[in-house]
Amino acid sequence: MSLCVLEEETFRHCCRLILQQSEQLRDGWSWESVQGSQEGYLRKTALRSAVINSSPVGDQVESSSESGPQTSCQSWPDLQQHKKEQSVLVASAGADSIQGDIDDEDDDADEGVCTVSEGSSQVLQYEYHILYSCSYSTPVLYFRAFTLEGRSLSLQEVWSSVHSNFSFRLQNSPLNTITQQEHPLLGQPFFMLHPCRTEEFMRPVLQVAQDHNRPVNYVLTWLSVVGPMVGLDVPLMYTTSHY
Amino acid sequence: MASDTTGAASFAADLKLQFAPFSSALEAGFWHQLTQKKLDDYRLDESPKCIKGYYYNGDPVGLPTRLTLEFSAFDVDGPTPARCCPAVGTLYNTNTLDAFKTTDKKALLEKEAKEIWDAIQSGAALKDPSILCRFILLTFADLKKYHFYYWFCFPALCFPEGIKIVQQPSVLEQVFSAKQIAALQEAYDGLCMKRGTSAVPYFLMKYTDKAVQMAPLGDWDTFFTDTKKVTVGVYDPCTLSQHPGWPLRNLLVLLANRWGSKLDTVEVLCFRDRTLQGSRSIQHSVILQVRLPELSNDSACPKSVGWEKNPKGAMGPRMVNLSECMDPKRLAESSVDLNLKLMRWRLVPSLDLDKVVNTKCLLLGAGTLGCNVARTLMGWGVRHITFVDNAKISYSNPVRQPLYEFEDCLGGGKSKAMAAVDRLTKIFPGVNSEGYNMSIPMPGHPVNFSQATLSQAQRDVEQLEKLISEHDVVFLLMDTRESRWLPTVIAASKRKLVVNAALGFDTFVVMRHGLKKPPVGQNSSVGAADSSPSCSSASSSSSTPAGSAPSLPGSSLFSNIPGHKLGCYFCNDVVAPGDSTRDRTLDQQCTVSRPGLAMIAGALAVEMMVSILQHSEGGYAVASSSDDRMNEPPTSLGLVPHQIRGFLSRFDNVLPASLAFDKCTACSPIVLDHYEREGFSFLSKVFNSSHSFLEDLTGLTLLHQETQAAELSKLYNPEKSIQNYSYGLKTALSSPGN
Ligand SMILES: [Zn+2]
Repeated sequence: MSLCVLEEETFRHCCRLILQQSEQLRDGWSWESVQGSQEGYLRKTALRSAVINSSPVGDQVESSSESGPQTSCQSWPDLQQHKKEQSVLVASAGADSIQGDIDDEDDDADEGVCTVSEGSSQVLQYEYHILYSCSYSTPVLYFRAFTLEGRSLSLQEVWSSVHSNFSFRLQNSPLNTITQQEHPLLGQPFFMLHPCRTEEFMRPVLQVAQDHNRPVNYVLTWLSVVGPMVGLDVPLMYTTSHY
Repeated sequence: MASDTTGAASFAADLKLQFAPFSSALEAGFWHQLTQKKLDDYRLDESPKCIKGYYYNGDPVGLPTRLTLEFSAFDVDGPTPARCCPAVGTLYNTNTLDAFKTTDKKALLEKEAKEIWDAIQSGAALKDPSILCRFILLTFADLKKYHFYYWFCFPALCFPEGIKIVQQPSVLEQVFSAKQIAALQEAYDGLCMKRGTSAVPYFLMKYTDKAVQMAPLGDWDTFFTDTKKVTVGVYDPCTLSQHPGWPLRNLLVLLANRWGSKLDTVEVLCFRDRTLQGSRSIQHSVILQVRLPELSNDSACPKSVGWEKNPKGAMGPRMVNLSECMDPKRLAESSVDLNLKLMRWRLVPSLDLDKVVNTKCLLLGAGTLGCNVARTLMGWGVRHITFVDNAKISYSNPVRQPLYEFEDCLGGGKSKAMAAVDRLTKIFPGVNSEGYNMSIPMPGHPVNFSQATLSQAQRDVEQLEKLISEHDVVFLLMDTRESRWLPTVIAASKRKLVVNAALGFDTFVVMRHGLKKPPVGQNSSVGAADSSPSCSSASSSSSTPAGSAPSLPGSSLFSNIPGHKLGCYFCNDVVAPGDSTRDRTLDQQCTVSRPGLAMIAGALAVEMMVSILQHSEGGYAVASSSDDRMNEPPTSLGLVPHQIRGFLSRFDNVLPASLAFDKCTACSPIVLDHYEREGFSFLSKVFNSSHSFLEDLTGLTLLHQETQAAELSKLYNPEKSIQNYSYGLKTALSSPGN
């Protein structure tokens, strides 16, 4: 039993090690402390861009050639299936009725601006938080995704942007413990991977490590299991380094 | 990228430098924080507020050049994310949409441009170049609808004739050697270190084949001893290979103003610095040369631009609707839905949730059973729940009826139907619930005392008929047997699914009534159209599987009974319902059952409804029996029994099934026929007569005479004695099917 229990102090220590690594790898983890309290959490944001082909024939997705841990460009599978979600994702035009009182000529006269076609590309922002759960003595992953306007996506939209076959994946993964919850420190709605099944998938890993007398960063090991399910990649460089 | 090629084309044409504008990027937390600020802090204060955003020069190709505002935007002195440059802005949050619309945007821009120009002229911008990259954010937060209107402006001063490019933008690695690139990276890191930051927005640069030197912008005069060739660096958030990002724009104005007369050309390094999989590179930075026009201190403030275009590419504000993630009511709804969806995704992929959620449920009775049924329906996400009850809440109720509280009993007690609706709405505002404080006329309870009572009864019947028509499933949850008679008749006639629950002391029955086939001569598709979604799919197919049931191999009288041949609550009785309360003591009139029983039976009633809805034939589904527990279940949720009879003393349930009784006092063809032809005049006869009226009509009287009535009288089945009931004997009395 004690194998899987993570003390809060150990959690902090694991987080500090991750932060040191992240600083070297420049992959964007930061520690956010809550004003006027000891509490805090690991935080990372990431962006994904999908260029949606507007022609009805192809559900081809042009994804940019490079992808990385900080920001990765992800193809958008199941375009047809998720037409509905997509239409929601397209920036809302509710303010169209309001006329800008900026003279268009002012802007057209600006030869110093290059034209960037915005409509064809949809960029999604992802936010991941790792908190410590006192009641479960485990790390907990909170996440949400939103458009450039700051509108949060539904869980279905998040998954359709992350996985090609999310419902299949869901069946036998720790993901099937996701709920929508208020962030305990921010009070804003987030999705949360409930820690009730954490022990189940952590125990074997920790057991092997213990048998080989190998030190393990609990939080990192845990993150490398749950992260990819919600589109959060943990570079291999983390796991190859020693603790 | 398309924009890249058009940019290159226009470059070739006029050799003028063009900049990629910022795209505003707001994190979800920003709007939450703005809402908090507006409610707790700003309130009606419209004065400009200082906020902070940031931009980043490490994006992969393809992402727009963004200026990001997160929840920490209001904490101007707070930290900026590592390796990002802060950008300070002015927030104008208006109190009304009208003020948002009528705000003089041109004046706001010009005011900001003037400040930038003044800072350039005074030299303040040299010491703190961050003023060159500022922004304006105009907002209106409609906190009733959670609609947020906003418009960003990234002020840029313009050269009247543009900026001439002397040497085309090139990627750094084509101009610099690997050694130079390494030296440049080292010099930049050194500069950051010296300044105690992880990003420097603007810097000066000198280089040879082997070495690179850097200095802050303010060190110009000491750094550049020779102005023949100067190189300035800008932290560049743009990823386009032919264009620099916005932050360079005002820097060039500053350079032109301060050194324009002395400079021939300026070399610009658009510094881009990204790390992929732990490996860092800057060689994709862009280097270019421009010739700067003169902009002396005598010049007036240059023209300025910068309001962001909306997603359609037109000059206009944007609006984002955040009710889904900020309106507590919507949040509750989406959370409830999500929980159900997760149940489906995880465990029962074929579960048709919409069928359940969209089912309109009529609850006749809002007592112990009604309260528990309603709560379980809410758990399933059912949105449409109607209560009918004529009772008031009494002091004994709240401990057993989970929708009521002590307060509800005061002053004579609130109406149960109305209080139940109020509580449901408090539990879940997304529910669509109505209450009807009305009584249901009963056989053996005369309504003909006066014209007034008669017409009241007629109105009650009409109301009940209307309610049953408008709903998909009728739950019979009253505490007397005879009050179930009228809704049983009406629902059978209207082909509505009925789920019935009744309690004894430690026994209960939960059953679905047999769903009659569409009336003869009536087009079955018409029948499907006005019937519940639960049986609509069944109606079309009812002719085949239902009719063939008796010939199924191995089928006996009591197994494989199709839904249309199943009995109702009264089919099992050989005595018509009458005034069962009249002769009871007060003790007997109260529902005395073990307290857990109503919760068990209420929950089972709803779960039975859900299982029926999941069956492809709905209410016409063949009844599962206890024997089917080992077989392949007919729905994704399992069995669809006719009845669940529970015995709490043994903690045991059985799943009997029984045929409709052709002499049933509620669902037999003769009763339905009389009701359909004579309507209220038939019903009032039933209300006003003793039970012999129905018994005579259906032939029960004759049956009594034929059999040994004395023997049968033991089996009279009042509400409380289900455990004594032996359905086999009575079903044997009934003819198979109708
Ligand atoms: Zn019947």
